Amino acid sequence: MGELTSDHLLNDGRLTCLYDGSFEGLLSAIFWVFEHKENPVDIVIEENLQSGFDQVITTIDTDIKKAERVKAGIIRSLGYQAYKDVRCVFLSDDERKGRVMLRFLQYSLKRGARSRSDLAEPIIADFDALLRAVNREIHYQLQFIRFSELRNGIFFAKIHPKANVVPLIMSHFAARLNIQPFMIFDEKHALAGIYDCQRWWMVEAEAVSVPDQCARQDEYQALWQTFYDTIAIEERANLTCRRNFMPKRFWGDLCEMIPHELRKGQPQTATPTACARLAGEQSRKSLQSPLN
Amino acid sequence: MELLDKLTILADAAKYDVACTSSGVNRSAVKGKLGSTASAGICHTFSADGRCITLLKVLMSNACSYDCTYCVNRRSNDVPRATFTPRELAELTIGFYRRNYIEGLFLSSGVLRNPDYTTEQMCEAIRLLRGEYGFNGYIHAKAIPGTSKELLTRLGVLVDRMSLNIEFPSETSLRQLAPDKSGQTVLEPMRFVRDGIKDNIRDKTTSIVKRTRFVPAGQSTQMIVGASPESDYQILNLSASLYSTLELKRVFFSAYLPVNSDPLLPQVTKAPLLREHRLYQADWLMRFYHFDVNEIIDEQNPSLDPLIDPKCNWALNHIDLFPAEINKVPYEMLLRIPGIGVKGASRIAKARRERTLAFEDLSRLNVSIRRARHFITCNGRFADGLLFDPASIYDSLTCEVRNRHYKGVLDGQLSLFGESGLTREASTQPLELASWAS
Repeated sequence: MGELTSDHLLNDGRLTCLYDGSFEGLLSAIFWVFEHKENPVDIVIEENLQSGFDQVITTIDTDIKKAERVKAGIIRSLGYQAYKDVRCVFLSDDERKGRVMLRFLQYSLKRGARSRSDLAEPIIADFDALLRAVNREIHYQLQFIRFSELRNGIFFAKIHPKANVVPLIMSHFAARLNIQPFMIFDEKHALAGIYDCQRWWMVEAEAVSVPDQCARQDEYQALWQTFYDTIAIEERANLTCRRNFMPKRFWGDLCEMIPHELRKGQPQTATPTACARLAGEQSRKSLQSPLN
Repeated sequence: MELLDKLTILADAAKYDVACTSSGVNRSAVKGKLGSTASAGICHTFSADGRCITLLKVLMSNACSYDCTYCVNRRSNDVPRATFTPRELAELTIGFYRRNYIEGLFLSSGVLRNPDYTTEQMCEAIRLLRGEYGFNGYIHAKAIPGTSKELLTRLGVLVDRMSLNIEFPSETSLRQLAPDKSGQTVLEPMRFVRDGIKDNIRDKTTSIVKRTRFVPAGQSTQMIVGASPESDYQILNLSASLYSTLELKRVFFSAYLPVNSDPLLPQVTKAPLLREHRLYQADWLMRFYHFDVNEIIDEQNPSLDPLIDPKCNWALNHIDLFPAEINKVPYEMLLRIPGIGVKGASRIAKARRERTLAFEDLSRLNVSIRRARHFITCNGRFADGLLFDPASIYDSLTCEVRNRHYKGVLDGQLSLFGESGLTREASTQPLELASWAS
């Protein structure tokens, strides 16, 4: 490390840093940049490397001590909230995150905590945009995670979020569900969060094999699907509005959005109810029009 | 009867209640108990009508002994009837909560035998939930008009939010359309709940942990819009006084949907959804934007303009206060610029301390200028290509709604169907322009 740094002016506009994909790795790379007074065009993981003409590439080794010093520096000059924001942005799936974070820290560490409120500065604005996107994704997961009860009493949820947010939602569910062991498996980021009623932790996993659902699960799922269908007011149908609040990418993991014909455990011959009579089967279908 | 059938009947009977929010109280989790609440509320899904579902919204029973003309559960209607047992309801709530389907329970009921008996049943279900099942999540209960104060108190310490529906914007309409209710039977318990909430604050003697809190998330109410002749002017003045005198957290509006045919009820084919939408916009102006009701609507123009939102309407009527210089006007004025929300205004206020803002900076702040650009200058400059002239602003702001109207593709929240009675002539003739002529 460092053999390319003898003349950093030479590297200007050409240098790309590679890191191992960990948070500590990214902070180590940022430490290296400050230490060597370099100004790389990007900090990326190898898979996201865009090869270009006249490019200089350097691989930065992860060094926990250096990462700790960057962390301490951020907290000292920008405050703890800024450090939390940096952690949050790191979990973004956006491949620009390395350079956005670098520019943010280059800019704000030089100017101090006050620069954090310079929201119109493009460097700060880029950082805030990524931060907002991750926070939005966290909130989506608090809304749309659906647990299924397994035969062994553990509640299991599979999700496909746009950012690597499981570590940031575990404390919410662990506190709330408290007496209930659960596991949230993020298939996209191959990461699972596990809570055993005492504490929670993360496990890297490409796939998890889980026991069958317990019998009660199908009943509750059918009850929930029925409630979901019944509570809509037909005369107010507004599928665009629904899609704006609940984007389609979540539907695959939402049991209430499973089309009727694919649902299990739902008796097709429920006694005629007020709903069936008022709404009529036909209009029910129109509420679930495939057009939207 | 199967639980699934009961749920279908009692959710269907509850769907016209609009107050499905889980907001107003922040209660962290307790060790050994299930649940917590978030002050902003969490919506867990959205139904096909685009409304948020955050609570399990059901009736305890739809076997109602009242005969309110507008209500689907009136005793003279021939509909299937069902009643939950307290335990069924408690288990259903817990089962849904454990799966992250809901934030909690919204429990209302038809009048089963009499108000006190109904409330006892509701109390029993909630007591089971809170006690036996250790449920620490959100509970919103409807209070039944005519319930005794002892029972209201018992219910109030079990729930987070309580609400009583005043149903109609005037007592005359209430008496006509809900013969078993009167203004007093609704307002008196609302005052009782308000006073109980006030006592929470006064009662500082007991420790926070031990203190039982009465209706910590406040109370709300709802009224039906479009079934009775009251104007927007009357409705908004009523809500303003409900906020100030009864200290309500929310007043909900529900666009009238004909579920019964009764000679006392108006014949409408479509719910006045756009009117409801405009009323909510006005409500937001009062609650979050420091608008007084008299600034939004007056006796001479007792209806909100369907073509334009009430904030734009106010701005056009006070065009002498504009353009607002983004870098100079006080925060209160930022809040009054059409299209700029509470978050946007505070971002602008923060960012302009660091540098002078230009138009392109506003988009970096994530502030939408689609409407605002007509009413602002940035560092002395207007947005490119726009005329600062009330007539052309009105035209530009309404053209989208007008186009959709002509094409007949409007639906849902922005519906121009129903009683708005707009014609081509009306929409090309600006409604509020007279005042600027001089």
